[in-house]
Amino acid sequence: MVARRRKRAARDPEEGIPSPPGYSAIPIKFSEKQQASHYLYVRAHSVREGTKSTWPQKRTLFVLNVPPYCTEESLSRLLSPCGPVQSVELQEKPDLAESPKEPKSKFFHPKPVPGFQVAYVVFQKPGGVSAALTLKGPLLVSTESHPVKSGIHKWISDYADSVPDPEALRTEVDTFMEAYDKKIAEEEAKAKEEEGVPDEEGWVKVTRRGRRPVLPRTEAASLRVLERERRKRARKELLNFYAWQHRESKMEHLAQLRKKFEEDKQRIELMRAQRKFRPY
Amino acid sequence: MGPAPAGGQLRGAVGEPEVMEPALEGTGKEGKKASSRKRTVTRSPAEGLLQPVKLSRAELYKEPTNEELNHLRETEILFHSSLLRLQVEELLKEVRLSEKKKDRIDAFLREINQRVMRVPSIPEVELTDQAWLPAGVRVPLHQVPYTVKGCFRFLPPAQVTVVGSYLLGTCIRPDINVDVALTMPREILQDKDGLNQRYFRKRALYLAHLAHHLAQDPLFGSVRFSYSSGCHLKPLLLLRPNGKDESLVTVRLHPCPPPDFFRPCRLLPTKNNVRSAWYRGQSSPGDGSPEPPTPHYNTWVLQDIALESHLKLLSAMLGSAPGLKDGVALLKVWLRQRELDKGLGGFTGFHVSMLVAFLVSTRKIHTTMSGYQVLRSVLQFLATTDLTVNGISLCLSSDPSLPALADFHQAFPVVFLDSLGRLNLCADVTASTYHQVQHEARLSMALLDSKADDGFQLLLMTPKPMIRAFDHVLHLRPLSRLQAACHRLKLWPELQDNGGDYVSAALGPLTTLLEQGLGARLHLLAHSRPPVPEWDISQDPPKHKDSGTLSLGFLLRPEGLTSVLELGPEADQPKAADFRHFWGSRSELRRFQDGAIREAVVWEAASMSQKRLIPHQVVTHLLALHADIPETCVHYVGGLVDVLIQGLKETSSTGEEALAVAVRCYDDLSRLLWGLEGLPLTVSAVQGAHPVLRYTEVFPPTPVRPACSFHEHLRERASLLPRLDKPCPAYVEPMTVVCHLEGSGQWPQDAEAVRRVRAAFQLRLAELLMQQHGLQCRATATHTDILKDGFVFRICVAYQREPQILREMRSPEGMISLRDTPASLRLERDTRQLPLLTSALHGLQQQHPAFSGVARLAKRWVRAQLLGEGFTDESLDLVAAALFLHPEPFTPPSSPQVGFLRFLFLVSTFDWKNNPLIVNLNNELTAEEQVEIRSGFLAARTQLPVMVIVTPQDRKNSVWTQDGPSAQILQQLVVLAAKALPILEKQLMDPQGPGDIRMVFRPPLDMYDVLIHLSPRHIPRHRQAVDSPPASFCRGLLSEPGPSSLMPVLGYDPPQLYLAQLREAFGDLALFFYDQHGGEVIGVLWKPTVFQPQPFKASSAKGHMVVSQGGKLVMVPNVEAILEDFAVLGEGLVRAVEARSERWTV
Repeated sequence: MVARRRKRAARDPEEGIPSPPGYSAIPIKFSEKQQASHYLYVRAHSVREGTKSTWPQKRTLFVLNVPPYCTEESLSRLLSPCGPVQSVELQEKPDLAESPKEPKSKFFHPKPVPGFQVAYVVFQKPGGVSAALTLKGPLLVSTESHPVKSGIHKWISDYADSVPDPEALRTEVDTFMEAYDKKIAEEEAKAKEEEGVPDEEGWVKVTRRGRRPVLPRTEAASLRVLERERRKRARKELLNFYAWQHRESKMEHLAQLRKKFEEDKQRIELMRAQRKFRPY
Repeated sequence: MGPAPAGGQLRGAVGEPEVMEPALEGTGKEGKKASSRKRTVTRSPAEGLLQPVKLSRAELYKEPTNEELNHLRETEILFHSSLLRLQVEELLKEVRLSEKKKDRIDAFLREINQRVMRVPSIPEVELTDQAWLPAGVRVPLHQVPYTVKGCFRFLPPAQVTVVGSYLLGTCIRPDINVDVALTMPREILQDKDGLNQRYFRKRALYLAHLAHHLAQDPLFGSVRFSYSSGCHLKPLLLLRPNGKDESLVTVRLHPCPPPDFFRPCRLLPTKNNVRSAWYRGQSSPGDGSPEPPTPHYNTWVLQDIALESHLKLLSAMLGSAPGLKDGVALLKVWLRQRELDKGLGGFTGFHVSMLVAFLVSTRKIHTTMSGYQVLRSVLQFLATTDLTVNGISLCLSSDPSLPALADFHQAFPVVFLDSLGRLNLCADVTASTYHQVQHEARLSMALLDSKADDGFQLLLMTPKPMIRAFDHVLHLRPLSRLQAACHRLKLWPELQDNGGDYVSAALGPLTTLLEQGLGARLHLLAHSRPPVPEWDISQDPPKHKDSGTLSLGFLLRPEGLTSVLELGPEADQPKAADFRHFWGSRSELRRFQDGAIREAVVWEAASMSQKRLIPHQVVTHLLALHADIPETCVHYVGGLVDVLIQGLKETSSTGEEALAVAVRCYDDLSRLLWGLEGLPLTVSAVQGAHPVLRYTEVFPPTPVRPACSFHEHLRERASLLPRLDKPCPAYVEPMTVVCHLEGSGQWPQDAEAVRRVRAAFQLRLAELLMQQHGLQCRATATHTDILKDGFVFRICVAYQREPQILREMRSPEGMISLRDTPASLRLERDTRQLPLLTSALHGLQQQHPAFSGVARLAKRWVRAQLLGEGFTDESLDLVAAALFLHPEPFTPPSSPQVGFLRFLFLVSTFDWKNNPLIVNLNNELTAEEQVEIRSGFLAARTQLPVMVIVTPQDRKNSVWTQDGPSAQILQQLVVLAAKALPILEKQLMDPQGPGDIRMVFRPPLDMYDVLIHLSPRHIPRHRQAVDSPPASFCRGLLSEPGPSSLMPVLGYDPPQLYLAQLREAFGDLALFFYDQHGGEVIGVLWKPTVFQPQPFKASSAKGHMVVSQGGKLVMVPNVEAILEDFAVLGEGLVRAVEARSERWTV
């Protein structure tokens, strides 16, 4: 391993860091102490004509391979020398649309454990992107002035964060339910209004809530109806009444036996292959 | 089932680049292509996977030929099913001798005949004068006492005849023995040769001379002595051919007297043929007391006489009936798998052949029966007939001069007379051996009647070694102690009868003694039979004390194990004296609650595990008291593996009690929940869903009493937090309890809203429990943690219809259909199936008290092998439950030890690829349903997980194995189990003591590419390690209940948090293995495919770097940075990262 490290160290300075076409590579390390580094692969965010993307063109930097200990804040800090950063969003995989604006409830959607992520960094000015593309690095995620927690430190603070505040939870639930109740009430009112009123083509919508409720339109219900029909028909049929029926049922029995026999033969074959017949 | 088909099933250990899925698809396509042809069948087995059979319509419905109809009908009548018929045919093909080999054996026999006839004769000498014997050969007999009057001379045999199973065609592989009887010429023998071992001495000298001459012949690869059916007075000569045929056949030469030489009336079981005066070495006849009869001695002489008549009888009975021969061959396999035919006094193939002959003569078996029917009839007969009470006889004549059966019953434990009415064929069989045969026959009959699909496998293919069949095993060593025991038990006549073989003499009385002492605790007692020795002709025969060890196997009755009391008769009864005599100083007078004063013996046992070991106390006490065998000579193997599931401090219990305490606390809590006032909806069910609540948690929880000073405090939420400057606090895992609320129209019909309502209930629950019962509670959106009596429970509120709501999908036409989604399946599993399983297994524990121990040992072992995270808790519990619900061909285990061995056996031999493991909880599945499940399994094999476990609640999906294990992990487990089983069995069967019992629990670490060493300071369960550290860190627990009632730190286990991060970040590149019970090492295995350079792709850049290789830009994993990441992510926890292989050369 030592030998290889030396080899790499020798290679790096002359030819620069190899990067895929269109991307430039920025080495990134957790702190001073580490010797090997990961590489962020960055490029200006651009999409083909006609594809919709909510990220602002030209001002957005697309970053691949963000290590798990790198948070949004630290990425923002690391890239701020290139120009003021407006927002940083970490995602599991490239996604053209910005995530919904309203923040997810931390009670109902706990933060997942981070792995390697991709980031969309929006600069305030387009100049930031080009500056970032020429960044040399290596970037340090955790420095003395801005330490990033990892290991035991992180787990203890995560644990402290996970102890919930019941009052906050209660308020959140209450607000949600209020909105939900309102929505349901509105829908019901609307349904009631439409009850029995024909639409422009003259069709009347029949619902379960009407005066005479009908079968719900579910798959299970329709299957039940079919099954009932089938049974009714089966009851009327005569079994083993005609000679041909008799013959056929006998033949059916024979076919069953044959099928079983074939299956058994196959199993035997398999067991023989596995030497299952040697009692020693 | 034989050994695990190495490589045949689930090929590809971890690290091999073979994946199961593609293989499955491949065969599927192939099967379809060839479906119209019949040969589909033969092709698929090559891949080792069964395919659903597809026959074309034309083939299924073509007109049957007469032959086919006959075949089908015969199968239906003579066999159980066509599968069984095919299996039996295959087995017989495998064990039968091929014609080619028979020819070779015949040629060898002819050669022997010639050579034996050419052995030169010697002139007459005194028996005691053995100077004529050449130097290279010793007399194969213990000549004690040495002086015997009489003369010996050698003459070539008058006749050489092949006897025994070889001629009948019922001898089976792998040990092919051909018995050859050499009739000694009359001139060698003289009158009264039957007396005082003179005949046996001559017989031995005859063999010695023969051996000397045959050993010089290059025809033989080996010439050795052995004993005829283990009887030490009757040596025989073993001849094996030279060269590559050496293992082909063993020819055994039995010298026998000329016909009509001995008068049979002298050899009746009541007669004496070994005079006490001679035997004790006194010159003059003794004190005139009557000579004791020598039934065994007489039998051994009679056996030599009857060799030929038995052959005649058997060939007359079996000769023309192939079905009977098949039956005998099957029975021999059956006996062999159960180790019943081995050693002195075994129930051999000869016995069953004679038994078949007997059943033919009593018309219970007809000559047209098939082999399977013969097997069944014989087993049926054995299961229902107790030959120790009602002997049987092949003799049809009503000659009044013949002895009565009762005479034989007095002399022998088991009685089965031959056609002459004088020889007891089962003379050497002990009562225990016969009872073992009966027990096995009964089990086998039950198995055959149950119409189980794999009856054949279990009946004839599964070996039942003693250590795996019996709950407890006892080794007696050294054997010479038994000599003293014989004197103590006053067994001198028996010793005289057995010619000084004190092991055989003491065996019967000892087993009777122990059977009486163990009483209701015992189901069956079996003893190992001393193996038949084999020795070189230049050596003396092995001494009795060298004949291996004596092992006793106990099959225990679980219901009898709970009592610590041996209740005797009332003090004034005459029987009380017997009781006192039997139990000696342990018997004491006790006054019972009903006022009775009785003799009683009380054993000290507080916990379940100690109660299980009461037989140990009983046995050592009785052996010391009655047989003079001190405790040091008794090596009891019953609870040796218990140490692995014992708690941290206690050594007297295996945790069943601690689990019961937790379960009782849970019961209290559920009562509180039921009675809670003020909930908007009533509680409709409270169900446990945690391993503790089904008694399968490896280390039961103990009440926590956290020390305040050890923790950080979060006052406003009444919680403790871990502190940076202290070691990691004790690990407390909340026990999950599912609390169902009643259905109501008020529940919203929207998944998100239901979650909010549930959260509101969680809050309310916490509030009410705090108010009404003063319990410390903490509510989150999905659960409420409750601290009760030091135990922490996690109550999850559930709404019955929620999975249904998650499943609802609206099609474009507005039709609502139900489709399983991952979320609905997960919820269904956690709130419905898991509680059901937990209660079913809880019930199983009440039925089988050993279940907890077995399941926990099994889980412990899997986790100790670092594979624990590949398997869900529930799947391993179910495998353990299968051992109890489907114990065939064994009985349900009554000790953790035997259960664990069977777990290893099951795991290592089960064919997961072609069979679902059906665990019939509560016996809910009928036989027809099981057949249906099996066929459904075959049809859907490719969609199912690698390991499929079916329960009545979960007939199709195998929910507990959906997310793992992968084929490689399972294969690794199979390999490890197959390695561990023989090692552990050898340790347990070693009479010198097991050595290091933890050996099989230590994982092999040399296969891992990287080892991450963790610092014990932050491993909360460090003390649970297999090799428990002598010292570990304080975990902030008080021994006394403290004043604080703050919520302890819950579920905080740094290694687990670390692993979760590692798996998330590097799961694509490597596999991580860890033992959650105090492991100090994480094993990392790179996935074999990741080091192949790949073209750049934005979606798979994770942890990779771009390098130029041959002018092209490719991506490879950035291993050096990743290794450093291992240390960064686990800062504080990781002590060192050790890269051990250079496999990632890029």
